[in-house]
Amino acid sequence: MNLVEKILARASGRSTVEPGEIVIAKVDRLIMHDLSGYLTAEVFDKRVNAPIPDPERAIMVFDHHFSPPTEQQANVLQRNREWARKHGITLFDCGNGNLHHAVVRHGLIKPGMIVVGSDSHTPVHGTLGALAVALGNDSHAGTVLPYGKAWFKVPETVRVQLDGTPQPGVSPRDIALWLVGRIGEGELNYRAVEFAGSYVRGLSFWDRWLFPLLCVDLGAKCSFVEPDEVTEAFVRTLPGADNDLLVHGDGEDAATVLRFDVGEASVQVACPPTVGNVKPVDEVAGTPVQWAELGGHGGGRLEDFRVAASILNGRRVHPDVRFNLVPSSREVFAEAVREGIVLALHEAGATWFPPSTGSNQAYNMGALAAGEAMISTHARNFPGRNGSPEASMYLASSATVAASAVAGSISGGKS
Amino acid sequence: MIFEGRCWRFGDNIPTDRLVKTQYVFEPMEVIVRHVLEDLNPEFPAKVQPGDIVFAGKHFGQSSGRAIATKALKATGIGCVVAETFARTFYRNCFEVGLPALEVGLNPDLAADGDQIRVDLVSGEFTNLTTGVATHGAAADPFLVTMLDAGGLISLASTHPDLFR
Repeated sequence: MNLVEKILARASGRSTVEPGEIVIAKVDRLIMHDLSGYLTAEVFDKRVNAPIPDPERAIMVFDHHFSPPTEQQANVLQRNREWARKHGITLFDCGNGNLHHAVVRHGLIKPGMIVVGSDSHTPVHGTLGALAVALGNDSHAGTVLPYGKAWFKVPETVRVQLDGTPQPGVSPRDIALWLVGRIGEGELNYRAVEFAGSYVRGLSFWDRWLFPLLCVDLGAKCSFVEPDEVTEAFVRTLPGADNDLLVHGDGEDAATVLRFDVGEASVQVACPPTVGNVKPVDEVAGTPVQWAELGGHGGGRLEDFRVAASILNGRRVHPDVRFNLVPSSREVFAEAVREGIVLALHEAGATWFPPSTGSNQAYNMGALAAGEAMISTHARNFPGRNGSPEASMYLASSATVAASAVAGSISGGKS
Repeated sequence: MIFEGRCWRFGDNIPTDRLVKTQYVFEPMEVIVRHVLEDLNPEFPAKVQPGDIVFAGKHFGQSSGRAIATKALKATGIGCVVAETFARTFYRNCFEVGLPALEVGLNPDLAADGDQIRVDLVSGEFTNLTTGVATHGAAADPFLVTMLDAGGLISLASTHPDLFR
């Protein structure tokens, strides 16, 4: 069995599981943000309303809001706080960063766990060797909270084998976007996607993170990187530092193996209307942008701010661009302060925002007027997700975002 | 489990954010239901009739896993939803909220707006009664049929208490 099958077998009390079987398995962690938490609480109170025997299993992070702009949104957060307090659910209130980064930084996700959540990017926790799957509110309210369990169909596994050496200036984010274009949106529907190969092995934890992050756009159920010394060294930096649930696959071949030479990838931009509309940066270079942002599930990492600081060194943000910087966690902001990056980027004309999920869905920031364009490290670019359906969202690496903020238009060049 | 109804045809890669737009997520269902899919076909929320069938293209219901998108679609009164392929959280949520769903595979010419179509969820059979075209889709897993029979996941958990204990 591979990692996913072993975790599902253990959690459902079986010796083996086969792809296609439906099992009912014990869940270790339920993660909710302010929106999914609200919707889950509504379903729970109206239709379930049972005791929650292990509330420590569930975590809520307010990440779409860092400070509610309307009374309606204030009421949503207040409702969530009261519900979390009533049931003893751990809450990280406004200002704690992006849901996925915050739960990792607080040591709440560990290798071998089963992690569920409504946020569609929940599978990103496969970077730690967890089985992380996005479920709907009814699973959370109806079976995870009252019984600590959920139903799962055992997925078939596809191994995406990445080897080779990237061209100069091509970042892991470019390669991740390029893969969505090469494989195609929805092409790995219902599958588990293992990211493997010498390229993946050579990446740091936070660069590996960019790969399981995109698996939802391929249609996958979950994704993982087989835990290794990089994973274990990262886990030792987390609170708790425990590794008790760690599982390794047996190493047999996946049902399907897709091989790619990352040396073929160039700098990439995902253009509207979907994440799969990926183009080499040269094809869209010169497109004016009024907004640039480092933030979201895949951005707002310390790595992103370091890259931006090196690109803005001695230069300023273009006068027609607003450059938003949104740390993914309080820890990242503290590190950026210590490294002098906060002052450097502030003085270069960029604007720091509170740790949060930034302009993701424009709940608290990031609405665009018709005709405006943003280039960002965000995970989604569907029209209408950020204000006007006539606005454009481009997704790119932190280097491309920072270079575009300086140029006033999409620019892949560092020079 | 057989459904017959008039087809509303939609395209590829429609995200849940466009089924229920962000600005309506916190509104009551009576409000949400008046805006379902309105960006893609403004006539749909106004003219959909009980028992109609929504037929979308590939990767229907991608993006956010919010179950409210499937609840809103069910609240329009449609009998079932058909797609060439579904995003997996959407497919899962359909059964959990009690909305029958059939995946028929990539074939954009199976039906057009207004065609009368027939869906057998257990066998996976899909028939366009207007054109006579038929195909075999993916039969629903027996566990999911049981879930639909119970009225969705929460009802299943209360009527079959041993399942999750």
